[in-house]
Amino acid sequence: MYKIRAVILPMKIFLFGGVSRLLSNIKSLVTGAKPPLSAAGLTVLCPIVNSGDGQLSNAMLTSRYLHTMGLHNNSPMAKVPNTYLCRFYVLNDVFYEGYPATEEHLKSKYLVFSTNYYGSLETYLENMWHCAEDDVKAIWQHCVAFDKVSSAVDFGKYMKKCQIKDNLFFNGSTATPLDEQLKSLYLKQEFSRFVYQNQGKNSQELQQAFQAFIARTQPDDLNAPTWIAGADEELIKSQG
Amino acid sequence: MSNIAGKVYAMNVVTPLTWYTKLLNKFRFWFVKLPGGASYLEGLLTLSLIHYARWTIVSPGKFPRLDKSQPKETLKYSYMFFFSNFNGSWDQYVDSFSSAIPDGLDLFWHKNVKYPNSVPCRPFHAYINYNQIWTDHYYNAYPLASSNDVKGAKHLAEKLRAFNQANSQTSPELFQNAYNRLLLDLQHNISIMEPTPIVSLSSEAIIARKRQIKAAVHV
Repeated sequence: MYKIRAVILPMKIFLFGGVSRLLSNIKSLVTGAKPPLSAAGLTVLCPIVNSGDGQLSNAMLTSRYLHTMGLHNNSPMAKVPNTYLCRFYVLNDVFYEGYPATEEHLKSKYLVFSTNYYGSLETYLENMWHCAEDDVKAIWQHCVAFDKVSSAVDFGKYMKKCQIKDNLFFNGSTATPLDEQLKSLYLKQEFSRFVYQNQGKNSQELQQAFQAFIARTQPDDLNAPTWIAGADEELIKSQG
Repeated sequence: MSNIAGKVYAMNVVTPLTWYTKLLNKFRFWFVKLPGGASYLEGLLTLSLIHYARWTIVSPGKFPRLDKSQPKETLKYSYMFFFSNFNGSWDQYVDSFSSAIPDGLDLFWHKNVKYPNSVPCRPFHAYINYNQIWTDHYYNAYPLASSNDVKGAKHLAEKLRAFNQANSQTSPELFQNAYNRLLLDLQHNISIMEPTPIVSLSSEAIIARKRQIKAAVHV
């Protein structure tokens, strides 16, 4: 048995990225350089306690709570810096594909959290706790062992215990911080309006209008004016 | 419950696979990440309707168990979790995949239990539909933007800043010439973003979400 493991383990390490990770770690140690920040994905499966409040199961209570959360900029995740897109769902069971497949069932239900974010995972989770602590506690309140989580450090450890490593992460967007993305979208919207509104003007009028546009939109200032994270069309229009 | 947040749809698919298929498919995913294997993702990039997507295979023994009081899973199969954030309707997405990159789909779902292959469409639709899970809460930082908007905005912002720096002190005539060249350069990215058109299932979701937003505002 041990002999078989001795052969299989190095093969697995080689086949599934062990070599590249090892080389990357050696490079980091030699140069002292941290890997560049980029867009990343996090997938966690948090087991939910198999009981309930006497009327509803904890899985149902979790699902119900998720449905009551605000949407768009009212979502608790709008408060967490560098969250591009994220979702929650309750995994009640796995699917039976029909004969001749084997029918099997989960022993626990799981809260699945899948997020796409920018930066390091540690910073992201720390921010998540600090910026949305009450919401985080409410969302995870029925999960196994979450009652032992009482700080950002605990939360980071908890999430990593529940983390499922992605086999393939595909980024079809840009790998820039969210505030840069939001500012760029704001500029795109405003500049498109500017172009339509200033067609046919003479060169002097156009230049003056452009200078006023730059003074108003402040392209180099990422903080303001810009789009608010999660803002939908109504909020953007109300901001003018 | 909604799979829709602005212009983006959240798809969750969970499919079983045997232990030997798991090993093979993990190798395929690893291979695709190599420089030589990246060509398999070109179809996805060309379609340009996905913000982010990911494939995650969970072995039977790897479902998180955090406490002894939690029963141990006794699964036979491994499970592949697929998450996608894409623009457009479910039908548009699944049809685009099936038509444009059938080989890529068959590569990533290779020999998942009862996977019918991506062509013909109907069995593939049925397979995805059967194994899909609805999202309980979906958040999108920019509901008004498509994936192309995000990429185009980055390009536009960079060009706009550079243009402003280079032309802040020029004469009106030179400014206009440079401005016209800028518009030519940015013509693909100059467009005003508007709410998503109402299509199929999303119309119901939009009505439900508006009701929920109003309720949240009044609380």
